[in-house]
Amino acid sequence: MPKYVMVIDQARCVGCMACVVACTLENSVPPEHYRTRVIEMVTGDFLNLRSEMRPELCNHCDDAPCVTVCPTGASHHKPDGTVQIDRSKCVGCKACIAACPYNARYINEEHGYADKCSFCEQRLRVGKQPACVATCIGKSRIFGDLNDPESEVSQKLRDNSYRVLKEAAGTSPNIYYINQFPKRM
Amino acid sequence: MKILATNFLVLLKEIGRGNRYYFAWVALLALLICAGAAAYMQQLSEGMIVTAIRDQVSWGFYISNFTFLVGVAAAAVLLVVPAYIYNFKPIKEIVLFGELMAIAAITMCIMFVVIDMGRIDRLWHVLPFIGRMNFPSSLLAWDIIVLNGYLFINLTISFYALYKMANSKEYNLNIIKPLIILSIPWAVSIHTVTAFLYNGLSARPFWNASILAPRFLASAFCSGPALMLIVFQIIRKVSKIEIENRAIFKIAELMAYAMGINLFLLAAEFFKEFYSDSVHLAPMEYLYFGLHGKDNLVPWMWSAMAFNITAFFIFLRPQTRENLFTLNIGCVLIIIGIYIEKGMGLVIPGFIPGTLGEIYQYSPTVIEKIITVGVWATGALIYTFLLKLAIPVTTGELRFARKEEPLRAS
Repeated sequence: MPKYVMVIDQARCVGCMACVVACTLENSVPPEHYRTRVIEMVTGDFLNLRSEMRPELCNHCDDAPCVTVCPTGASHHKPDGTVQIDRSKCVGCKACIAACPYNARYINEEHGYADKCSFCEQRLRVGKQPACVATCIGKSRIFGDLNDPESEVSQKLRDNSYRVLKEAAGTSPNIYYINQFPKRM
Repeated sequence: MKILATNFLVLLKEIGRGNRYYFAWVALLALLICAGAAAYMQQLSEGMIVTAIRDQVSWGFYISNFTFLVGVAAAAVLLVVPAYIYNFKPIKEIVLFGELMAIAAITMCIMFVVIDMGRIDRLWHVLPFIGRMNFPSSLLAWDIIVLNGYLFINLTISFYALYKMANSKEYNLNIIKPLIILSIPWAVSIHTVTAFLYNGLSARPFWNASILAPRFLASAFCSGPALMLIVFQIIRKVSKIEIENRAIFKIAELMAYAMGINLFLLAAEFFKEFYSDSVHLAPMEYLYFGLHGKDNLVPWMWSAMAFNITAFFIFLRPQTRENLFTLNIGCVLIIIGIYIEKGMGLVIPGFIPGTLGEIYQYSPTVIEKIITVGVWATGALIYTFLLKLAIPVTTGELRFARKEEPLRAS
């Protein structure tokens, strides 16, 4: 069984937002909501500035609080490690939105179910990569199977130092960020 | 079969009788319920967009009211404990009215949760046996079970006792005593589980503090009895039921301890957050001082604190506690204070600042307010009708017809 993860090489992100557009089109994300976003941060003082582009999306956590909290089991884990939503079971209690530390979820107002990034489940099924990965101009987003030691994600994680977001929340997330700025000695 | 129908008519007839104040009260409640129902129809047809709830603040006014009312329902045990365990007679006689209030409060709780759901047509997924609940892992599933269980226990106890009394029989304490004993930990559990619902979310540091469940219980043991004390005084004014001052003052004394504990726990929370001054201080700062100029809740929170402290001293001093005028002032202050503190003051700051650092200042829309008033009116109407039947049954004015005897409802 594969275990799908995403590795994000922040140093290669140019902030073109093509991933956001591709995701919105592919998944018909309603206006004012996003399944993925790119956070732009500039830190430091003048002449000593650092700019960080941080693409963010659902972390498909191993210990996902949204899955634990869901009263009906609409949010669930699939065997491939992804977290998916069975829309016909969602009662709209909004507990998963409160539970998510990554602000990955939103309510689809038109149909009243909670929604989020699905790693483009419909594309995975036919052997394609998620829309954001396919469109990424700088190959900043890399998607693949962590259980396969030869896959690109496994190799990247072997060769580089990386981190995950909000590790302290105890969710064991599956989006890995390759450290853009190596620690100074 | 015939006897059942006649008895049902006896009950209906009793509800249909009363003086003009009674009818004015029922008419007012009916009007508010209609307004609430109309507003809810609009929410159903247009969706949750008519509320101010958004992705940043996903729970709002409905869940705030729910949280407060769970406390009111749980507090019925504050009466049961001294009445049955220590056999304190004056309170024993009024336990029934406390349990009926728990029934009304739980009904309101369930209504608020259901109204908060965006897809009411899929509600069957969370019903036991029919749908498949995500049982041991989801605290929401636990909450559904304990709330309905508590409703069932209170319905059984009070309806069994009333039924026996209406048939002029002594009720068998051996049958209901185990249920009464069970209702004590169960009442603690409904409020604890509701607290854990918030408590378990590591994404929201304001809720993710172990002090939350104890504070829930402490505040519940203030607000619930406060509401009951006022109702008891109304009951003894409009009916032949005699409620001793001794019982009322005893409850007031217990409330003073509960409020003392509540204020102490609040102080502990204050110290921990402000002295350590970590990043998790932000929600608390928003609540009491405002964050980046956003300070919607600040005046509410400070008045809640002033009300609670004033009420604490009123209930602490025997002179003011045993004076019905100051006692009632204290009760009203506690109800308002806890309603703010355990309502919006608990739910909203959990979402502020959001996980991206956004500050969305939630304030309920008119539709939310009308629906909320409608739900409260429904609860009040249920309680009114329950009392309308329970009072004459306990005083012996209302008795069921028997097979041999002709109808004797006067």
